[in-house]
Amino acid sequence: MTFDWSVIWQALPELLKGARLTVLIALAGLAGGLVIGFAAGLARAYGNVVLNAIAFVYVEIIRGTPIIVQVMFIYFALPILADIRINPLAAAIIAIIVNAGAYIAEIVRGTFLSIHKGLREAGLALGLPFWKVLLYIIGPLAFRRMIPALGNQFIVSLKDTSLFIVIGVGELTRQGQEIMAANFRAVEIWSAVAMLYLIMTGVLTLILRVTEKRMRIL
Amino acid sequence: MSIVEFKKVTKRFGQVTILDEVDLSIEPGEKVVLIGPSGSGKSTLLRCINALEEINGGDLIVDGISVKGSGRMVRLIRQEAGMVFQQFNLFPQMTALQNVAFGPHRVRGETRQEARSQALAMLAKVGLADRVNNYPSELSGGQQQRVAIARALAVKPKLMLFDEPTSALDPELRHEVLRVMQALAEEGMTMIVVTHEMAFARKVGTRLIFMEGGKIAVDGPPRELLENPQNPRLKEFLQHVA
Ligand SMILES: Nc1ncnc2c1ncn2[C@@H]1O[C@H](COP(=O)(O)OP(=O)(O)O)[C@@H](O)[C@H]1O
Ligand SMILES: [Mg+2]
Repeated sequence: MTFDWSVIWQALPELLKGARLTVLIALAGLAGGLVIGFAAGLARAYGNVVLNAIAFVYVEIIRGTPIIVQVMFIYFALPILADIRINPLAAAIIAIIVNAGAYIAEIVRGTFLSIHKGLREAGLALGLPFWKVLLYIIGPLAFRRMIPALGNQFIVSLKDTSLFIVIGVGELTRQGQEIMAANFRAVEIWSAVAMLYLIMTGVLTLILRVTEKRMRIL
Repeated sequence: MSIVEFKKVTKRFGQVTILDEVDLSIEPGEKVVLIGPSGSGKSTLLRCINALEEINGGDLIVDGISVKGSGRMVRLIRQEAGMVFQQFNLFPQMTALQNVAFGPHRVRGETRQEARSQALAMLAKVGLADRVNNYPSELSGGQQQRVAIARALAVKPKLMLFDEPTSALDPELRHEVLRVMQALAEEGMTMIVVTHEMAFARKVGTRLIFMEGGKIAVDGPPRELLENPQNPRLKEFLQHVA
């Protein structure tokens, strides 16, 4: 067979549309996932028994089930249970938020607890309330240590968006699938799709590298 | 009025009693040196004063406030009782200046500018005017401990707690920290110091307390006790540290 570049050029506008949606789902999902992840991670690390238990159950349920099952549940089961309508894009974003949130919670818990206990005592001994010790002393140190693990999670979540093909979200993989179904050019289309994912994860990696460099890792 | 008053203070870790109904009053201006075998509860006693450890029995009044009070009351106590740790515990992401300015700014609510100028003055006082922009990792142990002292002093405490401030330092670096502490004592600061530096105890201390088995075994003037210890276990302890 011959590799026909023109197939890719023709498909590119549709593929880029898909890639845009992939980026949108990943960005919105990860932004939400960071919020949930910090809340759940801090609840695990420092919360009272109740908060800790809630966060623990959340993390274990999410880590213990496949993301594809989670998005199916959100898209098909939740509307029945809660009597709400949910569109595929919203379901996809919620799935990333909930899924990434659980993994980020573990990252947050681990890094906050890895900061030397003496620093927490030094902050408290100055007369600061504990939340300010977290905000000004432990948090900034933990955040630096978190960057590599967070970066990893960002890349995983970005690629996980391809699974949302199952609920018909027009993200990159879905677009590739549809074009391929019309023209049967599997080699060109999947090569192009793979390249686009690589470019997105590559940019992400680059941003993380720069962030890591600019912060003194302590 | 006493600045620190232990009233039958008991502290337990699990089943183990570390402080056993300790009574102790410390007056403003006193320089109390706390000695005793490892594990005798010296650090615990110190950490009860600023409520880093919660007491299980009795009461402990610091500058008129009980350590058993609300979170806000406990924070007031901590602002009046500065602490210096054996391991320095400087904030590694901050320069010396930022470490010292942190308390005035975040705890006392001074403006950044005001906090900065106070921090500069405090660092000059501990002899580190030329190291203000260095990070802790760029400083020697003795310099780090002097920054830590400046950081505690910058909050303007009435009382300073030192937990083995020179134990993590090489012998040749100890004197620079001890000198700063002596200068502080000469200014009239109330100090409670856990240390094995007997020369410091003799020269600077106004009161020596020997702890043993969760109790205060000996309490008296340092010079007398060091030259002529009556308590046999203090005598034995002094032979080991000397
Ligand atoms: N957080 C803790 N949990 C349990 N035991 C502790 C804790 N902190 C100290 N201890 C125990 O309390 C005793 C007194 O400790 P400490 O006050 O540090 O003694 P010192 O400073 O005189 O060496 C030791 O036996 C120590 O093991
Ligand atoms: Mg100790």
